[in-house]
Amino acid sequence: MIFGVRHSVAVAAALGTLAAVIIAVLTWKGAPVTSETFLVTTYIGLFLGALWAMYATGLVVVYTTTGVFNFAQGAIGVFAAFLYWELHVNRDWHSILALFVVVGLFAPALGVVLDILIMRRLRTASLVVQLMVTVAIMVLLLSVVGDIWEADTPRRVPYLFGINNGIDLGPSQLPWHRLIVFVVAIAIAVSMRFLLRRTRIGTAMRAVVDNRELAALNGARPNVVSSTSWALGSMMGALGGILIAPELGLDPATLNNVVIIAFAAAAFGALRNLPLAVVGAMLIGLLRAHTGAWLDFGPDFRFAHLSIAPLLLLFVVIALPQARLEVGRLAHHLRRHERYTKWWEGLLGCGVVILLAAAFSGGWLDFGGWDPGAWGSRELNSANEAMALALIGLSLVPLIGWAGQINFAPLAFAGFGAFVYLKLAGDTGNGYWILMVGLLCAPLGAIVALPAARLRGLYLALMTMAFAQAMSLIFFPHPWVMPIIGTGRQFPHIDLFGITFDDRRGFFMLMVSVFAIFVYALVLLRRSRYGRRWMAINDSQAAAATLGVPVVWTKVVVYAVSASMAGIAGVFWATVSGNVDSVQGFDLLLGFNIVLLVAAAGVSIPMAGIFLIFIPLFKGFGLRLEDAGNVDFLVTLLDIMTTYGPGLMVLGMVFNPRGAIFEMGRGFSPILPWRSDARAEIAAENAQKREPEIGELGLERPFTPEEVIAIDRRLEILDDVVPKEGYGTSRS
Amino acid sequence: MSAEGATPLLELVGIRAGYGTIDVLHGVDLRVMPGTVYALLGPNGAGKTTTLGVASGQIQPHAGSVLLDGHEVNGVSPDRLARAGVCLIPEGRGIFPNLTVAENLRMSTYAGVSYKQVQERAFAQFPRLQERRTQMAGTLSGGEQQMLAMSRALSTDPAILMLDELSMGLAPIIVEELYEQVATLAEAGLSILIVEQFAQAVLGVANEAAIMLHGRIQRTGPPEEIAEELTAAYLGMS
Repeated sequence: MIFGVRHSVAVAAALGTLAAVIIAVLTWKGAPVTSETFLVTTYIGLFLGALWAMYATGLVVVYTTTGVFNFAQGAIGVFAAFLYWELHVNRDWHSILALFVVVGLFAPALGVVLDILIMRRLRTASLVVQLMVTVAIMVLLLSVVGDIWEADTPRRVPYLFGINNGIDLGPSQLPWHRLIVFVVAIAIAVSMRFLLRRTRIGTAMRAVVDNRELAALNGARPNVVSSTSWALGSMMGALGGILIAPELGLDPATLNNVVIIAFAAAAFGALRNLPLAVVGAMLIGLLRAHTGAWLDFGPDFRFAHLSIAPLLLLFVVIALPQARLEVGRLAHHLRRHERYTKWWEGLLGCGVVILLAAAFSGGWLDFGGWDPGAWGSRELNSANEAMALALIGLSLVPLIGWAGQINFAPLAFAGFGAFVYLKLAGDTGNGYWILMVGLLCAPLGAIVALPAARLRGLYLALMTMAFAQAMSLIFFPHPWVMPIIGTGRQFPHIDLFGITFDDRRGFFMLMVSVFAIFVYALVLLRRSRYGRRWMAINDSQAAAATLGVPVVWTKVVVYAVSASMAGIAGVFWATVSGNVDSVQGFDLLLGFNIVLLVAAAGVSIPMAGIFLIFIPLFKGFGLRLEDAGNVDFLVTLLDIMTTYGPGLMVLGMVFNPRGAIFEMGRGFSPILPWRSDARAEIAAENAQKREPEIGELGLERPFTPEEVIAIDRRLEILDDVVPKEGYGTSRS
Repeated sequence: MSAEGATPLLELVGIRAGYGTIDVLHGVDLRVMPGTVYALLGPNGAGKTTTLGVASGQIQPHAGSVLLDGHEVNGVSPDRLARAGVCLIPEGRGIFPNLTVAENLRMSTYAGVSYKQVQERAFAQFPRLQERRTQMAGTLSGGEQQMLAMSRALSTDPAILMLDELSMGLAPIIVEELYEQVATLAEAGLSILIVEQFAQAVLGVANEAAIMLHGRIQRTGPPEEIAEELTAAYLGMS
């Protein structure tokens, strides 16, 4: 395909190069370019590229052989690096032994377990579920790492053979570790290419993703083959994590963020082309090293050189034609029983939400003699934080849940909202500007929607992720955007209806009210024409277009709505965290967690969004329990629920793709006195589960000719098969 | 027709099978004797493909047994059966569209034959495949795809060959070419179970035929007779 490049790609590449040249000229640092400095910079770039190539190779191998893009690749590396530290540093094992145990035993076992428990069941799942589940695995792995190896101890993974031994390169030294990394990365890429293209098991690995049943008919063992893929992918992730840890330090989030660069490299190879992915990784490495050495972006854009990978990812994903046509993927998840939530049910639900929040935070509840009492500032702080995140999460309900547009950038939208608010309201805290924030965030959503209009599924997820990271590296740190970063200045208290919400309880209830309004707006939206259109483009874009739904416009609207909601939520988020600094941080994990929460809630029903309110409630309640001090196991339980809950719930989607809340709602709704329809549905389903009365269907007993004619008339079969005598009995 | 008393190569006894709780097959009995070509005919939805699914291990029957050369193989996985010599060419195009022609052929070697033999035989029978050996199989024409699928049958020396709707969606001239290959295999003594909707294609090669309707085998007999009855059944004449 290299020479069959489309014109749009060529034009885009030319424009990109031009932009790069202009940027380079404008920001030239003026450092002297000598052959020595150039060489050193190049070797650093190649070394960095090699590290990322290792991750990218794992991603590409797993994607081409299982069809699953593994967001957890980096997290596997994190886990492996910590395990390696535990064995090698903490328990003093020899590095080779520790390396063998982690990469040779633990990693493949992890891959196989993941395959057997989870991935194998994901084959027929929708892409959203597949994506969410790998993200959930990532989050869970990182949570486990955080729990086992607590962050309070400083840890270092040493270089293999030490940092001071190596080849002398004149101006500097090339440590063995870096040389090994480079050689190993290239060797892995080459051998994987060889494995996939030149060996039978590699062919089978790619065949299984094409047509699993046919692979079995050929005599290949599909389960063994796909477990091999996962074992290999996991080994590469583990090795990458261990080798990169000495460079970056043992911090889960930092180590995990490396995968974004690997994503960019993999996207450079259209996710399936291994050599191009390696080239992409090297390219990013070289760009990173050389921009760092020669260009100075000034204090205003101090993170710009870090944004090469997300920008490349953004660029490649938008420019590349989508690699693989999904055929025959329609399926099992399309069956829907949904009834619109009635307007008064929405009102009732929102009323209950406000009441619950007031009751929990006000300490109006009495648990069999134990009165938790009203929340203090500690509980309210924690609950306010969670509440703001729940608000951001709610903005994803129409976007992901209804329109099926995966969006990993809710925090970027929220941050943009905070920025707009800061510019408009300044120090006054005038709350009426919040409405204006909603209006001004809509165009940002529409801008993101334009490239999204031609992307689907995985590419869309990668695009939004890259967008979010680019925003946090280039836009938010700019002093004009957030002028008071680092000064510790506080966001002003919101002033609304003549009330200044300067006390935490009042602010909590304000957010709860906004939450209720959002939920109610969603209930109404779902009943509107747009709600139906969003569902339609989610089910089938082509079918929706043939029905006259303007697909692009519909997408623009849903992104605009979501961005507005997220922007408004961002104002509250910024106000809660008080410090403006928090706005600029695009926390990959936090962003993923919000998306996971929403996915777990079963985003497709608007009332499921109400579920998000329970997180702040549980947070506050848990702290209250802790203060009471006598119910340790409950505290632990709530702790586990808030740490692992979202991830585990999303894993539950493997078995129940509609999300946990959907099933809970199905169990709950028949209790409501006015929901006779829900009771009828359950009854109908139970009736269906009974064995069909075979005799009556004419299968046990032959049809009489009269019956056959009657059935044919009923089915309007004109050229009916008139049975011969003995029809319906076996005479072979 | 082979002599009474010989062990059938493939035998289905009282097979009931289906998808979920719904049965599609309601007691299918079928025997393919060694060295014969058995044609299973019938309209859409009669259960022919399900029957092949059961015989190849893809679908587990709720009742009845599947016997291969006299041994019960219920519950044996399709890949094990494939390695044991059961070769099913599935309905539609039995190829891997994102693999090249050569890689598709390579997959055949799981049946226990060498890559060299597979390539030699496939290219000898279908020279067009050799020209396109580095091309993605999904970009071949329908006829070429079916040839590629058939070459697994030709190159792996199976014990029994099952063909599902070989003619579907192909030009008559290509169907003829493919069935010539089937005839050659039959002459060489291979046992074959053919499923077709239309009898015309298989009349020349089959020794024995059966009509399947509504999950049951209605009649078995010499192909010509069965074909006539099938036409009658399709046309609604009795």
